[in-house]
Amino acid sequence: MLKRSLLFFLIFSFFWIVLPLQSNGKKLDLPTGKLIDDFDEFVETFSSRKCMECHEEIYEEWEESFHARSMVDSIKGIANFFVVGVPKEWQKELNKKEILKCLDCHLPQIKYATERLALEIADLMIEAKKAKEAKDEARFEKVKAKLSKLNITCYACHNIVVHRSSPGWFGEPDPQAIYTANEDVEAEHPTEYTPTLKSAAFCAWCHGVYVASDGESTMCNTLSQSYYHAYISLGGRKTCQECHMYAKDRGHRFPGGHDLEIVKEGIGFQAEIKGFRYGVGKWIPAVNVEAFLTNRAGHRIPDG
Amino acid sequence: MTAKDPRSGKILHQEKREYFEIGLDIEGRMRYGAWQIKEILDLTLPPMKTREERFLFTLPKDTEEVLVEVKASYCIKGSKCDVIYTESKKITYSEL
Repeated sequence: MLKRSLLFFLIFSFFWIVLPLQSNGKKLDLPTGKLIDDFDEFVETFSSRKCMECHEEIYEEWEESFHARSMVDSIKGIANFFVVGVPKEWQKELNKKEILKCLDCHLPQIKYATERLALEIADLMIEAKKAKEAKDEARFEKVKAKLSKLNITCYACHNIVVHRSSPGWFGEPDPQAIYTANEDVEAEHPTEYTPTLKSAAFCAWCHGVYVASDGESTMCNTLSQSYYHAYISLGGRKTCQECHMYAKDRGHRFPGGHDLEIVKEGIGFQAEIKGFRYGVGKWIPAVNVEAFLTNRAGHRIPDG
Repeated sequence: MTAKDPRSGKILHQEKREYFEIGLDIEGRMRYGAWQIKEILDLTLPPMKTREERFLFTLPKDTEEVLVEVKASYCIKGSKCDVIYTESKKITYSEL
């Protein structure tokens, strides 16, 4: 009897301890910092889905953001750089160094791609553009499905680019840590607090004029210019995060120009319409309209 | 801004103001490629400022009524524009 009870206890303990570990207690494998050559391994290593298990709400917000489609939403512009800008206009070979001029922001984890994989990803962008231009929907959707696995993931902001606004102060991030804006965090993975994530300078790294290591600049958008020189310098005090993240629980959706609600918040409008008769003796029907548009945002409108 | 005959719908007067950036390359030519653009002509709405636009116009002498509509639209990509604000007023001109 005692033996049977002991056996039952051992079997029960085994399932009680082991099964939960296998179902949802999977250890979060953080990137090691080594270069990756395989597309699927690259996607899996940096995927935001790894964070979803514990941060489901944030994952869902991020999924709605343009950060989640940073590649598929910019196929034309990026592919043009790869097929026209680099080889034809600059007469340079397309390599990882040139690819980084777009993907350092659109896919920061490209840092950990081998030269070959970086070129494979660039070819996918070119292939998608060609398929779109040829109106080959099936081919386009096939390439797009692969490209949609590439985006600005949790790890990109919470590790790779986290210290770019002040690398001298903070140094290179540790590949095995997740950097957060909260000082007190208990997590299943190593975490490090960093104040950079709360600053406008953090966003400005990509949302402004990008200067590559060779001094060449690319100007996808110029938000940070007007933010610093026409908003902060005139007394504006809000950070990017205050409007695009903290307000109205926008969180990791980061709505911007694609979201009419925040567009409306950023623009004030008033119009005064007055009818009258013009020209003494002629009395021609006339109208005067005075319209007022106020930019309430912390940057120029529009920008892109 | 559009002024139209409220009965026939005929447009009697129309004007538009646009705010945008023009990207220029190093030789001062208008460009679209992010790698080509080295400076911009800033024709946007600057932050912390109010821009006033005036539309002053006359109508055909026999106009009795006009519907004036002022719309503020936001265009995110080329032709995709959304109206974000509208203000309108019907004006009646009494007989002389």
